[in-house]
Amino acid sequence: MKPIGGIEVRSMNYSHKNVDIGVQAYQLGEEFQMLMAGPPPTGNSFTALLELPANQAMELLHSPGAADSPTELPLKRHHNMSHRSARNHPHDCAPAFPSNAALNEGATKYSGISTAAAFGGGGQDSPESSSSANAMKVKSEPMDSGSSPNSLPHTSNPTVASKNEKHTKRKEREKGKATNKKNKTAANDNSKEGERLPYVHVRARRGQATNSHSLAERARREKINARMKLLQELVPGCSKISGTALVLDEIINHVHSLQRKVEFLSMRLAAVNPRIDFNLDSLFTAGNGSVLESNFPSMVMPLMWPDIQMLGNEQECQQQWHLGSVNQPVWTRQEGHQNLIISENSLLSYDSPANSVSLHSSQQKMEI
Amino acid sequence: MASMISDFDESAHRLPEPKRKKLRKIETVNQDQAKNNQIRWRSLAEQQIYSSKLVEALRHSRRETSPATISTRSRAVRETADKILAIAAKGRTRWSRAILSSRLKQRLKNHKKAKAKSKTAAAGYSRPTNPAIGVQKKKLPALRQRTRVLGRLVPGCRKLSLPNLLEEATDYIAALEMQVRAMAALADFLTGFNAGASNLAESSNRLEMS
Repeated sequence: MKPIGGIEVRSMNYSHKNVDIGVQAYQLGEEFQMLMAGPPPTGNSFTALLELPANQAMELLHSPGAADSPTELPLKRHHNMSHRSARNHPHDCAPAFPSNAALNEGATKYSGISTAAAFGGGGQDSPESSSSANAMKVKSEPMDSGSSPNSLPHTSNPTVASKNEKHTKRKEREKGKATNKKNKTAANDNSKEGERLPYVHVRARRGQATNSHSLAERARREKINARMKLLQELVPGCSKISGTALVLDEIINHVHSLQRKVEFLSMRLAAVNPRIDFNLDSLFTAGNGSVLESNFPSMVMPLMWPDIQMLGNEQECQQQWHLGSVNQPVWTRQEGHQNLIISENSLLSYDSPANSVSLHSSQQKMEI
Repeated sequence: MASMISDFDESAHRLPEPKRKKLRKIETVNQDQAKNNQIRWRSLAEQQIYSSKLVEALRHSRRETSPATISTRSRAVRETADKILAIAAKGRTRWSRAILSSRLKQRLKNHKKAKAKSKTAAAGYSRPTNPAIGVQKKKLPALRQRTRVLGRLVPGCRKLSLPNLLEEATDYIAALEMQVRAMAALADFLTGFNAGASNLAESSNRLEMS
């Protein structure tokens, strides 16, 4: 309700004049008041107040005519208004302002009707198509111009620039209030309007420039900084470095080194490769001979694993410790082969080499 | 025994989850997705999937082509590894799509024109290019320069804005680390295997001889 706070102050000024109008048209508006006794929402009591004058303004405008026809129009207006207020949009009171102001200023009745009609139509469209604050900005503009066609194109084109302007206007009002949270309100806005709008809503912090350009720049910078943080966590040794350029340097070096490692490993695999078919096929076909085969790799492999530790992260190593009871953490580093554990068992307890063989072959089958 | 393997699998699957739940409360939606991706690349299950696919693909490529030199074979291995990595990414990231599409383009070129073109393209991919060496030694803004270098390193991200590029780089680095781990494990396993097999052959020969 905070955005309404500023508006509420102003609404009180208008309400006095509305009361005057209400008193004047009291006899005619009595029926409408009874009709409106049901729908007006509990939260926005002053919207009910403001709905009154709008209907009564219509009533005033149409009073010289028959009492029946104007009843239908204001009834429709009333439906629109109540429909809108039921959605609990605080900015629905805004349409009432310009119409009252126009009336109070003594503008021509026809232009008053047209503005009211425009707001009636625009007010319905705006909560559906764009955000509520956009409607507020839209309504405030035609107050000066007083011409209806300008309002509708505004509601139908929610561009980023207009949103930034809307936010700057709102911020200028709210600068007196010190409670400007940054991203949490943006997150709330996102969750509310995320389905409707693809734009990220950013709020200016207190004491910062509210120019639309600087807002966009700040949003962009924050996006970039967030992603840089993720990257810094990923690349080892980057969290100490400050400054985007140096961090980028580190990232480039890291990517390059990883690519070189992949090349080196592929060369190694290519050298090893001719034996792949031979070994795996022999595993499947051979019977007892494979027992020795499986034990040999299990003995050779533990010597190899310490090399791998240099390549990976230490964190995964520590996490893997929780997996069951393992003696040497080096073996259970995240390697893609479960024969590590199997080989460890076979080393520690030589009771069932046959089991290890069957597991080995089954594991190979799983791989392939 | 089989239950042990299944337990191992389950625990591997269970590992990434508590991390995911903890992070979801803190991060916003976008960063949440990025972290999920990172966790995915670090998980053991993903590495196992990658290793199995890699072995299959390597056998396949081994049967298809058997050139003499190691360099061409290594390049083929590397390309298969990258292709499998891109497939493992499930095409959600830009670099994975770029890798797959570039392979297709290369194959088309091979069919139509001489093989010299593919070689230069592959060489260009593997060789790092120094950004400072060019026609003009103009000092671009440092950030812009590094952005360009990074864009060239990550496949398919040459003309990308900085925030998107950083996102792609995050995913790419995580995927590369997984690739390195899997390939290292595979290479060691195979060399160990070969050593074991050769030892076995030697010992069996000695037995037969004596």
